[in-house]
Amino acid sequence: MSLATQTPGRRRLMDNPRARVLVLLAPVMMFFIVFNTIPTLWLLGLSFYKYSLTGGVPPEFIGFKNFVGIFNAKNAIWFDLSRTFTFVISGVAFQTLLGAALGFLFWGSRNMPGRRVALTLLFAPMVLTPVATGTFFRFIYDPTFGVLNYLIRAVVETGPIDFLGNPKLAFWAVLAVDCWMWTPFMTLMTLAALGSVPKAELEAAEIDRVPFLRRLTLVIWHHGKFIMMLGILLRTIDSFKTLDLIIPMTKGGPGQNTRLVALELNKQSFESFNMGWSSAYAVLLLLISIAMTSVFIYVLNLRRRKETEG
Amino acid sequence: MKRTSTSPQVSRRSALRSGIALGTAAIVGSMPTRLLAEDHPLKGQKIDMTILGIAGWGPSSLGVAMSPLFAEYVKAKYGYDVTFAFQEAPFSDLFQKAATSLATKSQEFNIIISDSQWLGALAQPGWILNLNDVIKNNPGLQLDWYSKAVVDTYMTYPDGSDQIWGLPQEGDVEALFVRKDMLEDPEEQAAFEARYGTRLAQTWEDFAEMNMEEFEKIAEFFTRPDAGLWGFSQQYSRVYDFATCAFNNFLWSRGGSIWDPATGQIEGILNTPENAASLVEFKRWLKYQPPGATNFGIGEGIDVFVQGKVFSQIQWAAVGTAMISEELKGKVLVVPPPKHGTGADAKRIMSMGGQPWVINAFNDEAHMRVAIDFMNWWYLPETTLEFARRGGNPCDKATLSRDDFDDINPWNRTFKYMLEDGRSQDFWHDPKYSEMLAVQQEGYSAFVTDQATDPQAVMNYIACAQQQILFDEGVAKTEPSGICAGISL
Amino acid sequence: MSRLREPLYYAALWLISLFFFAPIGWIVLSSFKTRSDILATPPKLFFAPSLDNYRALFAKSEIFGQIFNSVFLSLGAVIVAVLVSFLAAFCFSRLKPRGTDFLMFLLLSIRMLPGPAVILPVYLMYAAFGWKDNHLALLLFYAMFSIPFSVWILKGFLDGVSTRYDETGLVNGGSWFHVIFKVVLPQVRPGLIAAFIFNLIFVWNEYLFNFLIGGVKTQNIPYALMVGTYSEGGLNWTFISAMTSIYMVVPIAFIFAFQKYLLVGMTFGTVRGEV
Repeated sequence: MSLATQTPGRRRLMDNPRARVLVLLAPVMMFFIVFNTIPTLWLLGLSFYKYSLTGGVPPEFIGFKNFVGIFNAKNAIWFDLSRTFTFVISGVAFQTLLGAALGFLFWGSRNMPGRRVALTLLFAPMVLTPVATGTFFRFIYDPTFGVLNYLIRAVVETGPIDFLGNPKLAFWAVLAVDCWMWTPFMTLMTLAALGSVPKAELEAAEIDRVPFLRRLTLVIWHHGKFIMMLGILLRTIDSFKTLDLIIPMTKGGPGQNTRLVALELNKQSFESFNMGWSSAYAVLLLLISIAMTSVFIYVLNLRRRKETEG
Repeated sequence: MKRTSTSPQVSRRSALRSGIALGTAAIVGSMPTRLLAEDHPLKGQKIDMTILGIAGWGPSSLGVAMSPLFAEYVKAKYGYDVTFAFQEAPFSDLFQKAATSLATKSQEFNIIISDSQWLGALAQPGWILNLNDVIKNNPGLQLDWYSKAVVDTYMTYPDGSDQIWGLPQEGDVEALFVRKDMLEDPEEQAAFEARYGTRLAQTWEDFAEMNMEEFEKIAEFFTRPDAGLWGFSQQYSRVYDFATCAFNNFLWSRGGSIWDPATGQIEGILNTPENAASLVEFKRWLKYQPPGATNFGIGEGIDVFVQGKVFSQIQWAAVGTAMISEELKGKVLVVPPPKHGTGADAKRIMSMGGQPWVINAFNDEAHMRVAIDFMNWWYLPETTLEFARRGGNPCDKATLSRDDFDDINPWNRTFKYMLEDGRSQDFWHDPKYSEMLAVQQEGYSAFVTDQATDPQAVMNYIACAQQQILFDEGVAKTEPSGICAGISL
Repeated sequence: MSRLREPLYYAALWLISLFFFAPIGWIVLSSFKTRSDILATPPKLFFAPSLDNYRALFAKSEIFGQIFNSVFLSLGAVIVAVLVSFLAAFCFSRLKPRGTDFLMFLLLSIRMLPGPAVILPVYLMYAAFGWKDNHLALLLFYAMFSIPFSVWILKGFLDGVSTRYDETGLVNGGSWFHVIFKVVLPQVRPGLIAAFIFNLIFVWNEYLFNFLIGGVKTQNIPYALMVGTYSEGGLNWTFISAMTSIYMVVPIAFIFAFQKYLLVGMTFGTVRGEV
């Protein structure tokens, strides 16, 4: 019971509710201030400066010119954003649907022999190192040496398919890898969501012979929606940030076909070292992500509040 | 220590065992006479050096593989110990690695193998050492370089000035690697003659005189997709400068130019109808290349060549050792890339590759001293010759003029030929090179992959964006013109 | 389900799992091939397996330092993160200070930005303070990145633990620290483990931050994988496949060993038993 016998001073500190909050929150807040608040303010400040790390001249205040430049640029932010949102929406939708379907399939398999191994194999893609996955998928997709072309051409009569070189295919080929990596995550979330449905209610519904679809909406969705929405939220956030999978696969090419916002920002900040311009770009992305997340949180809270009221 | 202890293994494994032994003996042997005369400030000390070089790039790792020889040399000559560690990053990430470190005034990397176009970006913020005084004080560094192209590409920034920031580590030029065994096959020769009515080229001289029109017959002849063989390949990849270097071969050889270094003007120079036509021509050659060629960079190119999928390839001379693998020994001929145009007008101006050594400006006194000792050692005739024997490409006139130089490596004759003034040149060394490069890489990649179909529009887009970048930087005098408004890929 | 359909159903599930695992299987298979076997056309399913790639891997002396960094950074960061997150989550769940929702949202905002945007100001800050290429500085940054998810998950679990435990503990004369660590902590084990594993996977595989604010001393295996893509003779498939195969063993072992907790953990505390 060493922890039980604290020094009196410590004890008195923790007895004060306000001090208790401070003590408990202090470590996280310190992290937050040092690694988030200060850098974010720094970012915000820099976004009003013309500052190139390789220019050899000190930062110069230029007001909103960076922001104006971003919207007027030849390769305007809109192209990157529209590609990114296509990537996020189609990717997350696919992963959610397939992931949920697989989740339902695995739901009833408690007595399956080797279930734990099977699930481990299923979850394995999401623990792979994305840089290695990207590089290796380049090899799998390769029209000359790749195994995928070989398999396809064993079934269908076709010429070699250049997945990552063809502008019509490259974007979807990259997205397919993202889906391969993250569909299992949505399966995991679905299994968790299904697990949170009380068995008694399910059994009652079964005894009452409620049809499956109504059971789904009435019982399962009612209990599982919070977890599913959380899964979708996490996927949306992460998918918006996709970078290290694309760098080794296409580096944004062919042309600009797979240039998502994270990639453009990476190029401008850490290849071209336009720190001011990139800060402005990053501030815009921050606003977009906050807006996106707010919507999700609003939905989540709304549902939750209804739950507690009902 | 690590490096020193592995060096005997490296040399044992090397096919050029005797050459190294000789080289080492020569270097160490020349010392004792001068040993007493010098009293080095680092005597008795032990220094750890770190070199940052390019991952997967033979010449870079050669610089480090040879460093134990330097350790022996300074131990004998100056009485201090030195060890070398090697840090690396791929071409596309190395500038990022170097810049993020140098911006913190870090000594993490004492010597850096920079790519030629980075000189400005490294020199402008004062991250690397200006070498003018160093060269003045070190007679060993006052070398006679093989050509002006060497000085322009690896040493000077700004272009045309007398400011020296780098010293050539690896000289490099574009070369055409062709499969000699296929050319020498009598059946192929007969079939070629029957089809085209001319003799199939055989020798280095045949190729040196050849133009693209003549070469196209050969490329076409060896393109046999059903047999898994293609006639030609070059680089089209979006990554780094791969498509740019390959396309500049076309652009320059067909009479175009990319900018006016004096005024920083790009618009009107890069986006001419002639250059747009060159871009079409650059893309047209895809039909003799394996599927996936639009993603080929240096490494992908080596893979298809070594696996016997292509008959020929325009590739850097620096990767000769990798291109001519164990199985391909004696089966490869390295020749100058074909000229563009016909008759007396035919021209050949190809991209210059290669890397300079640059020295971290934030090195403390001891590390700076070692770095300069290292440079002095690197350009000793014995070291330079040893470098060539291991597959590197030195740039000094003395070594390149040796009678036996052409025979050291299969590509040496072509290297020397292409290194002569007027045959190879580099693109901009401006600090904004990375941004300018990214724009045109996207443009060229979009065009060769059919994402963009109008060559003139692609060239306009690139020229406008680059003009804007240089104008913002204050290098270009004029703003992008009216045609640039609302232009996009 | 009828007796006949059950084996079919299980076989289908196994096939799905194997389908998802197939590309990884191909990587592992490739790691036992020679370079020319990897590049053989058509691709080879049967070949003479060799351990040469693994031998070559461990012949590089820097790999041990990189493995150490991977382990040290990910374990260290995640342990620190889970610990401080637990304290914060306890505070949010029990003491409900004003602005709890807002703070929780702010925390999540850390995770919302693309990597380069996050690292850009942090890089400039590290450069200014001389923190680049420092184990502790990198570890703390990773910890900070692991905090939001941990706080969210742990708050969910703590909300589900009855406050009666705390009260009993306090009435019996235990200090707050006793209550927090000895009474409440064991109740949220699935949440702790889930937070631990998910963040571990992230830090374990992280490349960009290591590349930019790390340096010679702190480089990890994803860094090595990125840098080692090219060998002197083309793309270095043997290195990539062998390194990836070895490197994924740890996280896969984790998801095998803690699968139960992982599933319960992702319910964010809405379930207390098995899933």
